[in-house]
Amino acid sequence: MDADSFNDLALRVIAGEATAADREALKTELSAHPERRDEFEQMKVVYDVLRTTAPMTEASRATGPELPVYRVGELRTAVRQHFGPAAVRQKSSGWTNVLRWILAGGGATALTVFVVVLNLSGRTIEVGMYQSDAMRNGEATLAAQDIPSAKMITFDQDAPFDQWQNQPLAWYERAKIWVDNEHDLFHIVRRVDHGNIHVETQPLAPTDEGQREQIKQAVESLKN
Amino acid sequence: METDRELLAALKCGDNDAWEEAFRRLYPCAFAAARHPSASLTPAEAEDIAVEALTLLLPKVKEVDEFDELRLLVITIASRKAISEKRRQLADKRGGGDVTSLDALQDDENIRFEPAEQTTSRLSVTDLKDLSKLLDAALSGLEPRNADLLRDFLVHHLSYKELGEKYKMPVGSVGVNLTRSLEKIRSQLKAAPKLWKELVSFLR
Repeated sequence: MDADSFNDLALRVIAGEATAADREALKTELSAHPERRDEFEQMKVVYDVLRTTAPMTEASRATGPELPVYRVGELRTAVRQHFGPAAVRQKSSGWTNVLRWILAGGGATALTVFVVVLNLSGRTIEVGMYQSDAMRNGEATLAAQDIPSAKMITFDQDAPFDQWQNQPLAWYERAKIWVDNEHDLFHIVRRVDHGNIHVETQPLAPTDEGQREQIKQAVESLKN
Repeated sequence: METDRELLAALKCGDNDAWEEAFRRLYPCAFAAARHPSASLTPAEAEDIAVEALTLLLPKVKEVDEFDELRLLVITIASRKAISEKRRQLADKRGGGDVTSLDALQDDENIRFEPAEQTTSRLSVTDLKDLSKLLDAALSGLEPRNADLLRDFLVHHLSYKELGEKYKMPVGSVGVNLTRSLEKIRSQLKAAPKLWKELVSFLR
């Protein structure tokens, strides 16, 4: 069998285009000429790699369809969950503006107000969760008395919960904590030294009891 | 963001607007990759895979030096996920008692999906970039009609019969043309020994 006929036969077998007679012919050819086995294997590699990667290289030139508008929300949520609330990420520029204002001549009055605010600031810890997570089968999974040093806030809908998560810490807040049951994550946004904000994401405890302990421990550690 | 470099810098900082811009730019590639012919998912299934692949870029962005790497990365992720999803669907169907010959179907699935799964799971962004260049060079060196024939065979997975009908040529001639074109690519691939060695190792 000449090289062209062998390659043609081999490709038909590899591509699933061969008849039973073709397959038998290839088997006979490979038995008679074992040196062609390597050639056959190489052709199979080329075929397998190119049939997998050619559609991928073509995909890099795709210009449509556009991202559906109704999918944008979940992508935004993924960004927020990965990087933390937007307001926290942009926080440093906010403080920079305040400092600029003070240095530009706000002077003693602003400084006095700042000192008073500083003394009162960083007191509150807020814990946010869906009402449905706080109350299961008519029983409270977490009650306000479980976390007396924190303020518990519950939500019925996504939008206000999202808004609360995205809000920067108010001057009187030390931290906020929320539970994301959808992705099994536990988020803590807290004020650390010099007004800097620290964002932390932990795996959520798997049981209701474990989650209650996780929240209580987080509140205790933030209180100190 | 005027340049890709600025966009990438903003993505690394978690800038919401930058990510929206990136998602919009990358979605068509992710969707096309999710419609990989080896997976043959429906458009709705491909949309889910594409969106998931986009979210998987978030933890990877720090490792990337150029915005275009994200494009190749999302394509690799979406293709891999699409092929795995198809395999899972078929396994579920089999689990539902929808078959008569379990072994035969399992063999068929291995033959159909294993090379693609192995390749997509191990292919790096650099490999894909190199292969893309090599394939473009090889196709541009062919007669336009033969290049189109090979592209339809490799990219759209058309069968010999479908190619024969589309190009109005006997099935025998389809095979001969494809074989000659693939031979040229094989010789070019072997002229890049590092890439060739890697590709061979993927499929072992």
